[in-house]
Amino acid sequence: MEELNQVLLRKEVRVGADLDVWLEHGGGEGLKAALQDPTAIIPQIKEAGLRGLGGSGFPTYKKWEFVAGNHGEEKYLICNGNEDEPGTFKDCILLEETPHQVIEGAVIAALATGINQIVFYINPDQEASIASMREAVEQWKASELNQAVTKAIGEEMGYRVMASSGHYIGGEETAAIESVEGKFPFPRGRPPFPAESGVHGKPTLVNNIETLSNVSHILRNGAEWYRNLGIDDTYGTKIYCLSGDVLYPGAYELPMGTRLADLIETYGGGMLQGKFLKAVFTGGPSNTILTPKHLDVHLDFDSVAERRSALGTGAMIVVSEGTGIVKRVTEYVNFFAASSCGQCPPCKTGTYYISLLLSKIDTGQGSRADLDSLINLCKILPNSGRCHLINGAVKVLDSSLYHFMDEYKQAIK
Amino acid sequence: MSITYQEALNNYQPLERREPAVETLSTEELLQQYHPDHYKDAATTLQVGPNRGDQCHHQLADMLQADARIDEADLAGARTRQTDVLVIGGGGAGCAAALVAAKAGARVTLATKLRLGDSNTVMAEGGIQASVEKDDTPQAHYQDTLKAGHFHADKELVASMASDAPEVIRWLIQQGMQFDLDKFGDIMLRRAGGTTADRIAYYRDYTGLEMMRVLRESVKNSNIEVLDYSPAVELMSNQSGRCAGAVISNLKECTFELIKANAVIIATGGIGRMHLNDFPTSNHFGATGDGLVLAYRLGAKMLDLDSFQYHPTGLAHPHHLAGSLITEGIRSAGTYLLNSEGNRFVDELKTRDHVSSAILKECTEGRGIQVGDQATGVWLDTPGLELRNPGLIAQKFPKLVQLGKKCDIDLTTTPLLVYPTLHYQNGGVQIDKNGLSTVPGLYCVGEVSGGIHGRNRIMGNALLDIICFGRRAGAHAAECNRRPGHKKISIEHLSSLRRNLTMAKMPMEQKGPMLFPECAKFEDDSDYDGLHKNRNRKISTT
Amino acid sequence: MPKRVGLEYINNPQFTNIDAMENLIEQLVTVTINGKEIKAPPSLSTIQALWYAGYPRVQSVGCLEGVCGSCRILVRRAESTEVTMALGCQTLLEEGMEVNFLVFPTPTHHTYNLEEIPNSWEVQTEFHRIFPEAVNCRSCNGCNKSCPKDIQVKEGVALASKGKFQEAGELFVECVMCNFCMTACPEYISPNHVGLFSRRVTAYFHTRPSNLINRLEVMRKGELKIEIDQD
Repeated sequence: MEELNQVLLRKEVRVGADLDVWLEHGGGEGLKAALQDPTAIIPQIKEAGLRGLGGSGFPTYKKWEFVAGNHGEEKYLICNGNEDEPGTFKDCILLEETPHQVIEGAVIAALATGINQIVFYINPDQEASIASMREAVEQWKASELNQAVTKAIGEEMGYRVMASSGHYIGGEETAAIESVEGKFPFPRGRPPFPAESGVHGKPTLVNNIETLSNVSHILRNGAEWYRNLGIDDTYGTKIYCLSGDVLYPGAYELPMGTRLADLIETYGGGMLQGKFLKAVFTGGPSNTILTPKHLDVHLDFDSVAERRSALGTGAMIVVSEGTGIVKRVTEYVNFFAASSCGQCPPCKTGTYYISLLLSKIDTGQGSRADLDSLINLCKILPNSGRCHLINGAVKVLDSSLYHFMDEYKQAIK
Repeated sequence: MSITYQEALNNYQPLERREPAVETLSTEELLQQYHPDHYKDAATTLQVGPNRGDQCHHQLADMLQADARIDEADLAGARTRQTDVLVIGGGGAGCAAALVAAKAGARVTLATKLRLGDSNTVMAEGGIQASVEKDDTPQAHYQDTLKAGHFHADKELVASMASDAPEVIRWLIQQGMQFDLDKFGDIMLRRAGGTTADRIAYYRDYTGLEMMRVLRESVKNSNIEVLDYSPAVELMSNQSGRCAGAVISNLKECTFELIKANAVIIATGGIGRMHLNDFPTSNHFGATGDGLVLAYRLGAKMLDLDSFQYHPTGLAHPHHLAGSLITEGIRSAGTYLLNSEGNRFVDELKTRDHVSSAILKECTEGRGIQVGDQATGVWLDTPGLELRNPGLIAQKFPKLVQLGKKCDIDLTTTPLLVYPTLHYQNGGVQIDKNGLSTVPGLYCVGEVSGGIHGRNRIMGNALLDIICFGRRAGAHAAECNRRPGHKKISIEHLSSLRRNLTMAKMPMEQKGPMLFPECAKFEDDSDYDGLHKNRNRKISTT
Repeated sequence: MPKRVGLEYINNPQFTNIDAMENLIEQLVTVTINGKEIKAPPSLSTIQALWYAGYPRVQSVGCLEGVCGSCRILVRRAESTEVTMALGCQTLLEEGMEVNFLVFPTPTHHTYNLEEIPNSWEVQTEFHRIFPEAVNCRSCNGCNKSCPKDIQVKEGVALASKGKFQEAGELFVECVMCNFCMTACPEYISPNHVGLFSRRVTAYFHTRPSNLINRLEVMRKGELKIEIDQD
């Protein structure tokens, strides 16, 4: 149990918008180290093996290198706190309870990449997070540390706390850029990539809140320390959002690579009412399902991928025996259908029909032809949209068809 | 011997003027020799039912004298609904009847085989007849209709329809239907083949589509209960033989349902998908003559069951679009028909049966144009029309231009190959001017009814007929049937049907109504096993 | 010129015999329809291909000439990730094409009754009460991209929102109410019903043909009665 909450969610750092207390507990040390030699930041992040914790698992240093390599009078960092996927609730905790941890990480990222405009982009439903960040940013702007930053980059760093549109799709990198520009969050086609042309055509970096939160600690404690936090050959920690039919749901920061069984049994307190585990929807619903035979899986990007699933945001929605998989999948696909932005008709129409067919089957109205149609749509639809939303919807459906075909067959007439 | 398509195309030259045809045969002679109604063995004599002894097309006769699809056993535990007026069929006639009945205060249930609006109505292009012009009269409309039908129609019905026509147009406008108007806002009119005045009101060549989408929207925004994917498979009656509802098969839940009603209005349309005489058809997928079968079994008298309309201008090439209808509007706008020698051979504005027979004559006598081994046809000379009236085709016939695009043919420079296509059932259930059949409580409106068009229908009278008699039946059914529910309702009439079939030594393998064209393989579709359980499944051999 | 099998053979019972058909075929393409692999001539539509291959197809079939909007399909062509919407009866087979027929969608939630609109001054107010979502159009263009008739749907909705109902309705002349734009709309505007509403109010309030009105008036006075000659 001592491994729990050792970095981002330690009691000492969960101090809210209070810069003094943050500094008392070692805050600011990472930034000071960064200021001494900004060119050393990226190599250190690379050495630490930090990866995108918003779901992509993409090496953070690579993104930073791309942005650092592109020049512009203005360059943007979007700190992505749009977090909207069912079962994911980690960024809002970080924003509300550790705003200075987020800000410091963002400033270090900006220093490393030559960025001078930082946007904290937050889900409007998280009012407490927004309030906390606004207060913290005001404190930060008046701080000595910020003056040191101004001195180092030769201009005032721009800070902006903004509420996102509240659309799930707004969490997608290019959609976030559109939002920051004041437009509807339609994902853009690539190329150009945001690192070349993002907000107002300027080089733009988009990082998840959890990713950025780790940065100050790596700068302060060193890459080696960060690497050793993970289990076996994984690095750092991960905040797992455990929800569903367990005794103690919640956000648990654990070593990257913690076993699923340990998460559920040791930290989640086991299954609610002692029921059997039926399935786990990982990473929110946009990934494949894990089943009891996967209880031994280490919850890190690569190990989960080996089981043909994905870690995603670290959300683990636990479902016990007696829960209808068709019903659950229907709910999740409904979420995607409602979230699809509309600019790619196969995504909007595809999710609409998947949702319609699932509802039919779930309510006992479905036929064999409806089930065949679902199977066929899983083949036709992937990659038909600009962003990954359609793939997310298809993935959870396809995976549920793979693991629980019997249940679908029982549900049809 | 006919010449090939390519050869004919090479020979073809667009000309502004061509000599009128010199026709050697009278209409009577032409029909006798070439109309498919008169093909040898086309007709047979009915052995059972109210029309026993009458002539009927043999394919239709098989269906009218088929066994029922259901038994009492199928109805055990079936859900029952109660309504005042049950409308069977979701095309123009059914919607009009339902709307008027509902407006009159009746509870209305509308059951349709496919979706609301899936019908021949939506495909109608030409327009709707109404004597509106000041030099035209309802009397002239009446006389033209009678004459075109070879004086075979019921005069009272024709008079009702012709005098209702202007009011029908107003009613449609009040439902929100648009018509093509001239610069003064007057309704524009064009002329139908075989008529004496410009009498066809239209909306581009989308008249049926415009009508159907408006009526569908109107029904959906009313309190009419719509049951889609619910074909009726049998009528029910009370002890005195009065029609008292229907059995429908719910294709979505694969169950039978009983709908008890004080009056039933059948509006199921025609029979094109029976492919009489193996002709291609311009008809909707659902046009399988179900209503005729239902009504006949309950004892409704029929008229003219051996008379069908073959529309002169079905597309003959390219093959995959064969049978598609080309609106008569294009001929009334002045387009000629040409044989392989480039000559006109018929007055293009004669009645449809005449023009179709003339085309069949040209093809039989070797002046047709041959594509591959199978298709033959004659030219529809749209380039000539373009020369006489530049721009008219693009402006007035957007649907035809679309069809041209699909054929990869530019209508302004290349003619279309056409051949008659099975289009309309002239006869049907005998009705009075309120749409009431010879069975009390049973109304039949639209193409399923007979007597309105005689033995040949003129363009624009079908859309008029469905709305005119749909409205009449809806009003009458709502008004005359405010009575307490029936005491005992059954499908007893099937016992006497089966007795009669047995006594007449008729085969009982075939089940009716047909419901879907053979190619749809409804009987083999495992989705509908629930509706087939009490029958020996027919093993398809093809 | 290769011989091909066409609609008339599907339509004509005598040609539903597969042997007879095969004599006519020289080239076939392989397609997948609703997950079933089918070899059929490229001159067939997707619906005809199912029939040709002997698979049942009852629902999603209608007029077979592109005006009823019931045969809605998703199509993915060989070597492409693009998925398009189309009408099945209007889509001819291509090698490697994948097709999925779509069941009919849930009906729109918008209801209205023309007779409840007191007069033409109130149409715009009523429009926004009936279709409150229309002003939320986010210009995603999904409706335009989905329309099998290439209607400028989005522009139509914008015109209707501005009270230009006649102009809006004109854009929807070819609309077959297939509902593709309805399922494509993320704001649940039901653009096809906006188009139809626009068309209907135009006729209901503004079609006043004097030739028709005259004729009705004359007939109301009892003139122009038809004499039925009894012979």
